[in-house]
Amino acid sequence: MRYPTSFSRLLPTLGLTLLLLPGCYSRSDMKGEDATTEKPTAEMPDAVRPTEAPGVEAPEEASDVVSSVAVQPLQAVNVFLEVSGSMEGFMPKTGASGENTRFQQHVAQLLSEINRTPASRKKAFFRIKEKPYADTYQGISGTVRSGIQQPAKSTDLPAVLDTLMTRYYQPGTVSVLISDFIYSPKNAGAIPYIKTDITDALQRNGAQPDLAVSVYGYTSDFRGTYYPALKAAGKKTNCCDTEIPYYIWVLGPAAAVRQFDAALLEQQPAKQAHFGVMYPRPAYSLLSKYQNKGSWYYGDAGASKRSADAYRVVAVSEASAQQPVEFVVGLNLGQLPGQYRDVAYLMQNLTLQGVDTDAKLLDVQAASAQTKASSGPESKFTHFAKIRLTKAPKAARPLVLRLQDQRPAWVAQWTTRNDGTPAAKTFALSSLLDGLEPQAAGEKRPVFELPLTVQPAE
Amino acid sequence: MKALFRFLYELIGAPQPPADTPVYRDVIFPNLGLLNLGISLGLVVVFYLLINRAMGVATFNKGRHWAIFLGLNALIAFIVTIWQTNAQQVTDHSYIYWLATWNAILGMFWFFLFSVLLKRASTNASTTPF
Repeated sequence: MRYPTSFSRLLPTLGLTLLLLPGCYSRSDMKGEDATTEKPTAEMPDAVRPTEAPGVEAPEEASDVVSSVAVQPLQAVNVFLEVSGSMEGFMPKTGASGENTRFQQHVAQLLSEINRTPASRKKAFFRIKEKPYADTYQGISGTVRSGIQQPAKSTDLPAVLDTLMTRYYQPGTVSVLISDFIYSPKNAGAIPYIKTDITDALQRNGAQPDLAVSVYGYTSDFRGTYYPALKAAGKKTNCCDTEIPYYIWVLGPAAAVRQFDAALLEQQPAKQAHFGVMYPRPAYSLLSKYQNKGSWYYGDAGASKRSADAYRVVAVSEASAQQPVEFVVGLNLGQLPGQYRDVAYLMQNLTLQGVDTDAKLLDVQAASAQTKASSGPESKFTHFAKIRLTKAPKAARPLVLRLQDQRPAWVAQWTTRNDGTPAAKTFALSSLLDGLEPQAAGEKRPVFELPLTVQPAE
Repeated sequence: MKALFRFLYELIGAPQPPADTPVYRDVIFPNLGLLNLGISLGLVVVFYLLINRAMGVATFNKGRHWAIFLGLNALIAFIVTIWQTNAQQVTDHSYIYWLATWNAILGMFWFFLFSVLLKRASTNASTTPF
């Protein structure tokens, strides 16, 4: 061999390179990592240690709302318009100058939409006096536009609800009740029992376990005689300077009510409250590249596949108070009513429950133009919940994002105990709505529960 | 096999940024590992069996010629890493270059190993590099 030395010179160089290069990486990088892991564990204050949260269901047990909803398409809509004397002010006879009230404008439009909607095959229209009288779309619409011809003396709300429940409650059918919902009990002694009266009317024999009610509140100008619930206050003629509320109640099986709401009432700028309506679980996923912080990655099996559209497992490599892990859960709440999509509502009522973890919900954001235009998976979601944890989990732990079903604040604001003076409030509204709460009082079922898992990195 | 490659490539630390860990572990590491083995084996075969046996070239069997192939192997391993990470659309990070360097070193190691195994099958270079 002519060059026996050339390789022997090369060999040590090669060996040295082999030893040095990985060493370079590990030294420079590991040093940084050591500095961040060890100090915090020593200094971590007690406050950031997780509080024990026993009794959290494992993700498998979290109720899947979708499965419990028997999906029956909406088939029929029955519209009931109350035509008692107290409604006359909403539907005055057309004045000389052709001005109308907002009630007339809105309800005529809504009736037309219901009549035209492809969401339901059968539509029926009724006037409510002492009992429902069948009418036509033209008849009802005409009543709304040009005033009530023969107003009923009064309608008893529990009796009306009872009739709707016994005669018109059918699978795939919703009843739409348009009224001012001024419920005057026979005497003052009955006032504390309004809730019970309503509940009794709706659940006479408990035969409608999936009954749901959506309540939409509106206000309108009012020109006519105002009949307060408390008759002692006396009626007010030539009322009013203030706006008077009226409501649309949608009653029926939960699935039908949800479909009707989504098809016809969701777009309207109304106050809303929902009772017993169940919604399919919204699509959700962890987002590993949207406002993410710290050392974590998708721990799902097959997480590398780009076809996967939902990730539920957070694998935390390291977390400390100095280097917290922050991850964002994208939520698609497009199928929920506006009440539950409101960011302020979500901020208050979206809760995070976990076991043996200090994970906290930091923030809820709505999608922005930027996220919608993004090429990443965040473009699919309407809301983002950001969660932070500062302690790496010891083993796989469940984490549940839960939206509490809280009665919206407007109900209390629109409630009055004395409606002698006309105002944009309704007598005993919260008591009425109390009657709509499902029998099993106490814990209301959450709007949705989204299970996640936090686990240590492998 | 996946676990072996994961072990080999995580000797230089966990993938960065952490969010890309599943892609590295499930896709890039196995790809790199297999490509690297194949390329090293291929170059060794070209050097010992093609050039120095089948073609019978008599003037390309010295240690420096072997070193040229070793360097070529390292270069290919480096470029393959950059190509693979780009193909999988991972986030840009200096880790990519550390990984490429480590892959080049691993490539040289495989090349050396295959050389030791295959040099006896060569006629002209059975004693290269030693």
